[in-house]
Amino acid sequence: MYKIWQKNPDYIYCIERLEDHAMIPLNPDNTDYQEYLRWLEAGNTPEPAEENQ
Amino acid sequence: MTLAVNIAQGGSNNVTMRNRIINGAMVLDQRNAGAAVTPTADTYTLDRWSVGMSQASKMTIQQSSTVPSGFSKSLSVTVASAYTPAASEWFGFFQKIEGFNSADLGFGAAGASTVTISFWVRSSITGSYGFSLSNSSQNRSYPVLYTVNSANTWEQKTITIPGDTSGTWVGATNGIGLLCIWSLGAGSSYLQTANAWGTGLGLGTTGQTNWITNAGATFYITGVQLEAGTTASPFEYRQYGTELVLCQRYFQKISGSINGGSYNQFANMAYENAATAWGVIALRATMRTQPTTAYNGTFTLSYGTQGTLINDANQTGGDLAVIGWTGGSGGAAGSSTYIRANNSTAVFISFSAEL
Repeated sequence: MYKIWQKNPDYIYCIERLEDHAMIPLNPDNTDYQEYLRWLEAGNTPEPAEENQ
Repeated sequence: MTLAVNIAQGGSNNVTMRNRIINGAMVLDQRNAGAAVTPTADTYTLDRWSVGMSQASKMTIQQSSTVPSGFSKSLSVTVASAYTPAASEWFGFFQKIEGFNSADLGFGAAGASTVTISFWVRSSITGSYGFSLSNSSQNRSYPVLYTVNSANTWEQKTITIPGDTSGTWVGATNGIGLLCIWSLGAGSSYLQTANAWGTGLGLGTTGQTNWITNAGATFYITGVQLEAGTTASPFEYRQYGTELVLCQRYFQKISGSINGGSYNQFANMAYENAATAWGVIALRATMRTQPTTAYNGTFTLSYGTQGTLINDANQTGGDLAVIGWTGGSGGAAGSSTYIRANNSTAVFISFSAEL
């Protein structure tokens, strides 16, 4: 499972992988982000975004 | 003594940095510091080395001091639970070589360089084992068998592979330039013609040893070197600090317990607002790409505010990481603080940009 951390909907800080609390950048060269995209393509949905103003 | 020197650039075998494998002597284990792990999925273990598996918890990996003469560490694999691979399953370990470090070999075009891989191996199970070279998409591979002749005995193996003149190879990028795979068991889907480039991912051939089927079997490897050319040169020893920096391009770990302290500081921070503070950590080597940041243990701000560590990936690049503390209260915008361990020696922050 994943959760998005964001300042607001236009500014996402990172994506948290909840099993180990790793913070993943939205970067296509990052293999953890590639895995997140495959997880999304499989029909999964991240937990509601945590918004930090 | 005669020393051959070749300073040509394309597919060259320079006297230094000729080994394309990083941590080939298995001296670095930032993640586990020598502790044994029994992964449940493909996982990086010793620096730059990943275990690969189709079923969880069948293999235990550990940095070992069982070594051949001239080495201090090896990578050991032990069968944790014997298993017979199904047709589409495999077990083993691999290293991915970055395109920037292999592009000069010229794979995928006429004139691709021949490469030679050499390594020391010791196994409790004799027989033929699969090794394979593959590309990033795993649709080109060259499986080959090598033989472990005597049980529980260190033997050096040398394999020479002609460069692939076909297929798509990533070239000088930060992607996967070469994928080096050692098989410890593979089903029929992964068995292809040996000693030839083919399509798909071949990890071995019919008749290879499926080591993973043997309860308690052990397998050790060290002194791994991949170089251009048709012969194996002596293992290229690098200074520890040099090898560490090479590893830190892909993974680095900042520990708070280097002096055994329980409240070690990690970074200065400044409050953006009452609930959130931000700080910067200078990374020790330029990372391959924006890293994934992981926090282990209990952290707190200078005066004990509870909260959660996050990461601003937008401002974290290969050289600097921007970390944030959020969910606290009472901070004054613009005022300073710092992030520290909260009575724990097990606290660390890691950054991963593995291939």
